[in-house]
Amino acid sequence: MTAHRVSFDHVWKQFVRGERHTSLRDLIPATTRKLWSRQPADELKQGAFWALQDVSFRVEPGEALAIIGPNGAGKSTVLKLLTRILRPTRGQCHTHGRLGALIEVAAGFHPDLTGRENIFLQGAIMGMKRAEIIRKFDEIVAFAGTGNELETPVKRYSSGMNARLGFSIAAHLDPDVLIIDEILSVGDASFQAKCLERMRKLVTTGVPLVFVSHNLPAVLQLCTRVIVLDRGRVVFDGDPAAGVREYQRAPWASAAHDETGRSTSGIRITGVQLVNHHGCPTDCFRTNESMTVRIDYYASQPIERPHFSVEIVRGDGTNCAAVNTAMDRCDLGLVSGAGSIEYVIPRLPLLPGCYLLSIGILDSACVEHQDFRECAYPFSVTSDTLERGLVYMEHRWHHRPGSTGGRRREDESSPIRLVAAS
Amino acid sequence: MKESLVHRLRQELQEMVHEQAEYRSLLFQITIRDLLLRYKQTVMGVGWAVFMPLVNAVVFWVIFTKVTQLDTGGVPYLVFAFCGLLAWNFLASSLRFSAICLTSNTTLVTKVYFPREIFPFSAVLVGLVDFAVASTVMIALMAFYGIGVSWTLVLLPVVFVTHVAFTAACALILAMGNLFYRDVKYIFEIVLTVWMFATSVVYPVSHVAGRLGAFLALNPMTAIIDAYRDVLLYQQVPAAVPFGSAMLASFGLFGVSWLVFHRAEFAFAENI
Repeated sequence: MTAHRVSFDHVWKQFVRGERHTSLRDLIPATTRKLWSRQPADELKQGAFWALQDVSFRVEPGEALAIIGPNGAGKSTVLKLLTRILRPTRGQCHTHGRLGALIEVAAGFHPDLTGRENIFLQGAIMGMKRAEIIRKFDEIVAFAGTGNELETPVKRYSSGMNARLGFSIAAHLDPDVLIIDEILSVGDASFQAKCLERMRKLVTTGVPLVFVSHNLPAVLQLCTRVIVLDRGRVVFDGDPAAGVREYQRAPWASAAHDETGRSTSGIRITGVQLVNHHGCPTDCFRTNESMTVRIDYYASQPIERPHFSVEIVRGDGTNCAAVNTAMDRCDLGLVSGAGSIEYVIPRLPLLPGCYLLSIGILDSACVEHQDFRECAYPFSVTSDTLERGLVYMEHRWHHRPGSTGGRRREDESSPIRLVAAS
Repeated sequence: MKESLVHRLRQELQEMVHEQAEYRSLLFQITIRDLLLRYKQTVMGVGWAVFMPLVNAVVFWVIFTKVTQLDTGGVPYLVFAFCGLLAWNFLASSLRFSAICLTSNTTLVTKVYFPREIFPFSAVLVGLVDFAVASTVMIALMAFYGIGVSWTLVLLPVVFVTHVAFTAACALILAMGNLFYRDVKYIFEIVLTVWMFATSVVYPVSHVAGRLGAFLALNPMTAIIDAYRDVLLYQQVPAAVPFGSAMLASFGLFGVSWLVFHRAEFAFAENI
């Protein structure tokens, strides 16, 4: 087996825009016209456009690659090329081994067939042998959490259950390459967590993963590398936090923000900078070091007592901190023109991971957002500590050898021996 | 140069067969699906497979024995017609189904990869199940009229395999054609009606004289149906030239259409 199970080598893909001749009545006149006029064979046919232009990447075993980009950037085309549904116009693309494509996991379901019949059908569509499905059948059913409904046609299933069953089949595929398209919206929170866990386990066993999503927290949580696509070209390839930042910074992102989340009244955010303890702007911080969020604003008309809010969520959506100036009883008075405000964390307690910062400006009553940049500022945290969890808690260990729980010692308040402290 | 071309072609054919073998579970499951769907919520279920050719046979029996007389070479007309209709119905139902097999599975064609031949092949397999069920009536009719079988029965598998190859070849072409041009489905309905009366289904085409007769003899289905009757009803070896050429044509067409289908299938998702 080759080292690269997924490789894209200078891939170009052309599509023809507009209506094609799907009826002979249209084709015959069109063909005769073409014969008469004898157009020169252009490189780019009329109405054709390049959906992908010179895209190259490889995914190493154990690597989790996310592909992000605005709508129409070519993400789905990449997926379809990877899953061999399409062939590149130019260049080479290869995926070796059994492909676990979590795209439309319930695509093969037929509404009139029962859950049991559909498990066999969908399993076969995904490339499983009948014996393999029989062997894994109970596991699949247990994972999906559908017990009594197996003999019911899936048209009577709820859409959530439908998707859960589909995902559950896909999750038991034991693939060599995993390809995921925006499926984390499936099921309830506990099921999603179960799916993520399953995917992460696969990645740790060395299965390369390609993940296409708009769900940036999930991208940050799952992936080790990000490619940003824009109009068919790779504009970024590298570290997830930096990639997400690149994606947020790009013109399409700010255009989207212009349309949503901001009322027309005077004040807006003009810039946000994350600064480390050296005073350098960065998006990579270390546990227990300082982090400063500098928010620049501009108020086109005077505004009475605006409030600023800062929220931090971890990649998986866990809310880590949410605070605003109103809670801290900070009165900014009358604000007008340009200015800036700093949110300073002297010792960042967050443990290693990817996080997203949301910044907002609220009116004096904290009711309406004047401007809100949701999850717009990603940053990553690294650390030398081996602790796990969400935050670093300052702590000590006290060890008293020979003492039992029932017997209290008089000098209990003072530590006998310090085992570890920070 | 020429040798490498042959070599490449052989490699491609090997790849196609290998892929098909790899996905045999899926072929099986899709066939099961289509069979289940076909007879779900029907009262008669698989009985329809028997009922349809039987009704047709009876209608033609009335026409060709009560209204006008027809020479069938000493075989009772009902058996003669049922044999033809049975073979014809396998072709017709497989092809009707395969014409729409890709376009009615759009989500699968655009979302999931597997060899697309599975759809027309499963359409043929579904037709085959009906064919098998209706064949029991054929056996019953033969017993009823006291028609025995002779050693020529050993040739039945040869005729059958030719029949299946020809049907599968047409199924591949139709499925592909209808994907690119939706008119194919409608044109095909007309073709099917004309084709049936141009074949030895309900009367022996050999009775047609002149140029028209010579033209109709080119139809491989006539040779196939005549061969069925030869080995089952007349207890003789099928005529070598018509059946031999039909056999060659069927296998040749099957190979070529599969190859074309395989090469075109990468354009399916974009054109459906």
